[in-house]
Amino acid sequence: MNDPLQATRQVLWNIDHVWVMYALLLPTMGVAGYGIYRRVQRWRRGLSENRFDRPLERVALLMQNGLLQLRTWRKLYPGTLHAMIFWGFIVLTIATTVVMIDYDFGIPIMRGNFYLYFQSLTVDIFGALAIVGIGMAGYRRWIARPSQLVYTREADGLLVLILVILVSGFLIEGWRIAATDDPWGAWSPFGKLVADVSRQVMSVDAMIVAHRLTWWSHLLLVFGLIAWAPYTKLVHVVTSPLNLYTARLAPIGATLRKIDFEHSEKLGINSLAGFTWKDRLDFDACTECGRCTAVCPANRVGKLLSPRDIILDLRSLANDPQADPTQSYIGATPALSVEALWQCTTCGACVEACPVSIEQMPKIVDTRRFLVMEDAEFPETMQQALTSLETRGHPLRGTAFSRVDWTQGLNVTTMAEAKDADVLLWVGCGGALVERNQKVVRSLAQLLTKAGVKFAILGREEKCTGDPARRIGNEFLFSMLAEENIATLDRYQVKTIVTSCPHCFNTFQNEYPQFGGRYEVFHHSEYLAKLVSEGRLSADLPSDKTITFHDPCYLGRHNGVYDAPRQLVQISSSLAPVEMQQSRENGYCCGGGGGMSFIDEPPNQRVNQERARQVLETNADVVAVGCPFCMTMLEDGINARKGDRDVKVMDIAELLWQAVEQSPTS
Amino acid sequence: MNIIVCIKQILDPEIPARDFRVDSAKREAERGSANLVTNIFCENALETALQFREAHGGKITVVSVGPEGAEDVLRKALALTANEAVLVINDAPGLADPLFVARTLAAAIRKIGAFDAVLLGREAGDWGAGQTGGLLAEELGLPCISFAESLAPAAPGAVQVKRQTDSGWELLESTMPLVVTITNHEKNVPRIPKTRDVMQSYRKPLTKWTLADVGIDPASTAAYYEVAELSIPRKETQCEFIAGDTLEAKIDAFASRLTEVMRAL
Ligand code: SF4
Ligand code: SF4
Repeated sequence: MNDPLQATRQVLWNIDHVWVMYALLLPTMGVAGYGIYRRVQRWRRGLSENRFDRPLERVALLMQNGLLQLRTWRKLYPGTLHAMIFWGFIVLTIATTVVMIDYDFGIPIMRGNFYLYFQSLTVDIFGALAIVGIGMAGYRRWIARPSQLVYTREADGLLVLILVILVSGFLIEGWRIAATDDPWGAWSPFGKLVADVSRQVMSVDAMIVAHRLTWWSHLLLVFGLIAWAPYTKLVHVVTSPLNLYTARLAPIGATLRKIDFEHSEKLGINSLAGFTWKDRLDFDACTECGRCTAVCPANRVGKLLSPRDIILDLRSLANDPQADPTQSYIGATPALSVEALWQCTTCGACVEACPVSIEQMPKIVDTRRFLVMEDAEFPETMQQALTSLETRGHPLRGTAFSRVDWTQGLNVTTMAEAKDADVLLWVGCGGALVERNQKVVRSLAQLLTKAGVKFAILGREEKCTGDPARRIGNEFLFSMLAEENIATLDRYQVKTIVTSCPHCFNTFQNEYPQFGGRYEVFHHSEYLAKLVSEGRLSADLPSDKTITFHDPCYLGRHNGVYDAPRQLVQISSSLAPVEMQQSRENGYCCGGGGGMSFIDEPPNQRVNQERARQVLETNADVVAVGCPFCMTMLEDGINARKGDRDVKVMDIAELLWQAVEQSPTS
Repeated sequence: MNIIVCIKQILDPEIPARDFRVDSAKREAERGSANLVTNIFCENALETALQFREAHGGKITVVSVGPEGAEDVLRKALALTANEAVLVINDAPGLADPLFVARTLAAAIRKIGAFDAVLLGREAGDWGAGQTGGLLAEELGLPCISFAESLAPAAPGAVQVKRQTDSGWELLESTMPLVVTITNHEKNVPRIPKTRDVMQSYRKPLTKWTLADVGIDPASTAAYYEVAELSIPRKETQCEFIAGDTLEAKIDAFASRLTEVMRAL
């Protein structure tokens, strides 16, 4: 009798008129299907964009961030609760499918060990975990109430509904086990618990009635949820996997689109009509988790910018049947206001944090493009930077230096003079024209000389790569600078570029290829680390300072280079380096990217001061940087905050040069 | 209203100090690696004209006297939506003196035809002579208002001009046509062009005349004005310590040394 190989249970025990269930299934699917169909129709209204190349990589991404929830896990508490609900529902859905195969298709698979281990035990445990997950979500939403969440009736309703569905499932199971005296009941420990408790308080007859009523209620609620879901944020069950599959494969630094000026009716985007289907899918994929806004440096210091609300407000517009798709959305809501749009440092933290790979920052830049190129309306100090960029080839208005002043006393040649250089040292405007950074480039040049690298600079022929123009939104100016620089680089047949500016690095690496310029590009941290590992440089006199490294957004998050600068920091001091609370992918912006270094931030809302605070939280004597913008921003921030502490900002090249300088030449 | 705005291309005044050199023999600034830009007061003049046109309608024609390359500054003005542009080509090397420029401009303006006002920058950021406006008015036989910051319509055929003075401002009314030199003011900060307009500016027609076309003798380029000597002022610092046994003695010594030095200057 109790042969485990025979173990199973009667499907639809105690239920008559089963046809009603099938009859209800039809409208349920119809309503849900219509909800999805409407969304798909809205996506199809978007412009075209190819997001289906390289399918294997896409499947891999889907597995990592979908099935395994890797990004969601990055935040422990919400990651855990989401995984419990997510996996709970996956297992419950598989279980329902098993029932269907067994009962409707008449293939008896719900038997024996499979029935006991999976259909009873596993399903029971995962169902219970889902309830715990919902409990944790409820605690977060109703008691802890972090500001990153969006508080709506809909979200409350969904949570309660799912909880009721899960709990009623256990009641049904428990009453069935009790009323049928199920010999395998113990394999469903939580169902068994309900059964045991019920036996104490109810008669078997009462259980049979309660079971039947609850079963039908449970069914109605499940069908109701299925029908409603596509109209709520729960649609992310469908849209997230789609969005993960169609996610950007290139690094964050390569997200901005090139504009075809000849054939564009409008430059940049200011209305829904400008977005591609993928942008529209982004809107619908948002789970309202708020992680993007929680990591946004501008938002953190109290500014208006909120990438989450940009996505959600665009979604409301896209899903509003009354809204005119050609109407400008700029200024339609606080999140879409001009003020907020000019607060973004393009640090990419939002893009990195989003568990469903939504691209918030590129939409900000697309909108800036409209403001700059069609309206010519943007902050005056940014205008001055761009005007200088246009007339003088650099954005640093009023600099007292020329591009070659920093070479005084060093033996640095230009490409025009040195015909046999292997490497072009791209100095960058920040390196050449800002006094503090000239020391960095001098250290770098001396390191290269010491290592015997044959390098040269472009000198006066160098022009800004155009990064500030592109991030501020003047794509036209950017493309002119790109073409000009590429022509210069071609003239000298440059193959290898080393630069100490991550913005220049990113532009060469990810953006000039769009214009036909392809080079082997190294950030100086990578190149110096290479020279060290080849034994061409050795840090024989490390300092005795505690160093912490500040990841530049355009090196780290935008291009995934985290280790090379840390290796240099490591060997530059005899003391172990320390990490700030926020580092690597999670690094916090210095506040200088995206043209923001050309803007005067309100004194109480300065991103650089917040980062300086984080630096000072460590016991570091030196904060190492790898970017001329970070240098300026952090020096200002640290000076404002350090009080009587002695904390210095130094570039990794300076630190390494100090440690190498007195070493005998190898 | 038809407004003519005169525009001058100059050496970028924001060139880093260390890069700025003069050729003392030729008595002119070296071009070096510096860029050529639109003179800032000319930009203020164009901005004033653009604002007037926005508010009251009309047409703006920009005119420049200079080498072929001065086309750049006219294209920039076209990008800012000036309606027409005329370049009078003067290839002659060396300084084009203010009277020559004023005469050339006057000839070009007569050739352009009917106009109601000519706007110029109050002076140029290279030589800073500040004479062209007045001389042009003289050549055209028109009234001239200098150091203006804004224009407003007045009775038919007249215009109201707000002019800055050392102690405040004056509001003047003049019949048209007239010549106005424009100074900078918070209300005429030059705007930046829309990209679409920049793209289109390359396709807009631009009239080019030679000096002969406007009836000016090329030989008169620098006939009225001569630079006698040109050099960059040198800054010298000398440090001297004043000795003395007591503080009083030191102060006395310091005072007498100071008087000496002052006299020597
Ligand atoms: S890129 Fe950075 S600053 Fe801009 S919205 Fe995203 S997180 Fe905020
Ligand atoms: S955009 Fe992404 S990170 Fe931001 S709220 Fe939506 S799902 Fe969360």
